[in-house]
Amino acid sequence: MLWHKAWIDTRWRCLIGLAVLLLSAMGTVFGYQLVSSKALDITAPQGSGMVAAAIREALELSRTFKGYVWLNAFSQNLSQLGTLFAILLGGGALRSEAPGTLYTLSLPFSRRALMTTRAATGLAELLAITIVPALAIAVLAPAVGERYSILDALVHGVCLFAGTAVFFSLTFLLSTSFPDPWRPPIIACGIAVVIGMFETFFGRVAPVGIFHVIHGESYFRGDGVPWLGLVVVVAISAVLLRVAIAAIERQDF
Amino acid sequence: MADPLVIECAGLSKHYGSTRALDGLDLQVPRGSIFGFLGRNGAGKTTTIKILLGMVHPTGGRVHVFDLPAAEREASVAIRRRCGFVSEEKDLYNGMTVGEIVAFTASFYPRWRADLQERYLRSFELSADANVKTLSRGTRTKLALLLAFCRGAELLILDEPTSGLDPAVAEEVLQLLVSHVAREETTIFLSSHHLAEIDQIADRIGIVHRGRMILSGVLDDLRQDFRRVQAVFDGDAPGAGFATPGVVRVRRKGRTLDVTAHGHVDDVVAEARALGAVAVDVSAVPLKEMFLELVAMED
Amino acid sequence: MLLRPNPSSGVPIYLQLMEQVKHSIETGALRPGDQLPAIRPLAEELVVNPNTVAKAYRELEHEGVIELRHGAGAFVASSTRAIPADAMRAARGIVAGAIDKLRQRGISDEEIRRMVEAQLAGLTGTGAHRG
Repeated sequence: MLWHKAWIDTRWRCLIGLAVLLLSAMGTVFGYQLVSSKALDITAPQGSGMVAAAIREALELSRTFKGYVWLNAFSQNLSQLGTLFAILLGGGALRSEAPGTLYTLSLPFSRRALMTTRAATGLAELLAITIVPALAIAVLAPAVGERYSILDALVHGVCLFAGTAVFFSLTFLLSTSFPDPWRPPIIACGIAVVIGMFETFFGRVAPVGIFHVIHGESYFRGDGVPWLGLVVVVAISAVLLRVAIAAIERQDF
Repeated sequence: MADPLVIECAGLSKHYGSTRALDGLDLQVPRGSIFGFLGRNGAGKTTTIKILLGMVHPTGGRVHVFDLPAAEREASVAIRRRCGFVSEEKDLYNGMTVGEIVAFTASFYPRWRADLQERYLRSFELSADANVKTLSRGTRTKLALLLAFCRGAELLILDEPTSGLDPAVAEEVLQLLVSHVAREETTIFLSSHHLAEIDQIADRIGIVHRGRMILSGVLDDLRQDFRRVQAVFDGDAPGAGFATPGVVRVRRKGRTLDVTAHGHVDDVVAEARALGAVAVDVSAVPLKEMFLELVAMED
Repeated sequence: MLLRPNPSSGVPIYLQLMEQVKHSIETGALRPGDQLPAIRPLAEELVVNPNTVAKAYRELEHEGVIELRHGAGAFVASSTRAIPADAMRAARGIVAGAIDKLRQRGISDEEIRRMVEAQLAGLTGTGAHRG
């Protein structure tokens, strides 16, 4: 019954996350009408500043559906919302001050089994809330008269999942260090923001990083599936989870 | 001849930084007994219980439950399969209903006693749809006991089971424990600082103070071995200590020496007379005074 | 039928139970051949440890006061060695006389009670009887 309990402990976060990301994906698709008509009217700004360059690139991307989807959903909305919900799903490992913890610890299963089940359930939920909205874009594209490849949607969904899973695992680990439910997600959000800013500023120099994988940028730009990046983020998640489980096993409650 | 030991600790220690929660605790709980684990708040009772159940890792010493090493992960899971536990706060899942927590718990115990479940649900008037967080303290305690009893556990570990309960409900809980022990082959290990209830139902006790066991044994034996000897003198009572072994405490009150002795009562009486006592009274020592005198002496 | 024993009195509970059973036999509340309550229901009713009740019954059997018939229960022994009624009457006379004498010497009732209890506790404290 461990799976069942892990599900009922996290199901609202999962269902809300799924609804939010799905709505965002739908918003992206159906907003294309508005954007595409306007984009053609705006003249690209001249100038060499970073902001001007960014606006030029955004306008350029918006001319195609695929570019618009990448700009709007995968590099921004779904990426940010996915990171947020990955963090929300990752909290709530066995907390020493939480009611019910002593009861759980008195039952005949190992802490490792409990935590592994929790992590696996959380990751499965994260997979659902990243893949389903991505596929929805491909499925709904014909409704606005466009086409979006299912394969592309799948690859981006997987990149979203694998990248945000790092933040899930980070929050999971942080929640083993703090007995309260607030600090781990707040700290993880802080770390996510810092990493995001870091990658933005240094993105010109070296296009690598967690958010780089989340955005699936190299795939979008035609460099193929970012295998190395995916392997690295999966490895990071695995390490974070292992450390978290070991920390729980060592802890005195 | 001696019953096998369900719980055995030797030199058990637990340090949190510089605090010694347990400092070389020895404990033997034979099968089938009701063992009262006594001590002041902070003496080490809850720490010991948590170590038995694998919630806290000991710093040193040996601890075995059912002859399995409680400090090892896999052994601890095996131990918990044969134990029932009720924590001091009656910790349960507030987000579940009675039916849900019963079903959840039952799924981990192949020997779950559905017959006991039915009987207790009825006699406690617990509705399967009631939310755990809406239960009164007394009903919550009974639910916790139900979940512990129905596991078919050989050992019940209870941390202050009647704390926070009014006298009527507390008595019901004691009755449940006694009744359960009478029907099933169970050992009960309960910690308490309600001496009266331990007096009533325990057959063995252990007093823990500052992380060490300062007294343990069969309660009836201790009741017969502990005596208060009051010696009255013509002048002021002598200040010298008592040489006889077994003297727990000596108090001078004007012309009276108040001696609490654990065994060797005849020798104490003889020594009192040798010191010149004009009158010597011997009386029994209730458990409460045994406890207070021993704890005061250690302090 | 049996009263709740007093756990704080310093007298072991099983001894109190034994005394109560013997007293019931002496007053005639329990006659030879009568069945005593079974261990479990009695422990539940008095809210005491069943082992304690079992111990009391075992000691009573050892003293010949009751018989434990396997499978059937505990019964007052037909040839009970309980003290006969006239010996009890004589004993009561001794106690009454002693109390009168002490009162004549100006010793208060409370003082007399304490002396008697101390004397009884002192005797059992010599380790003569071990449970």
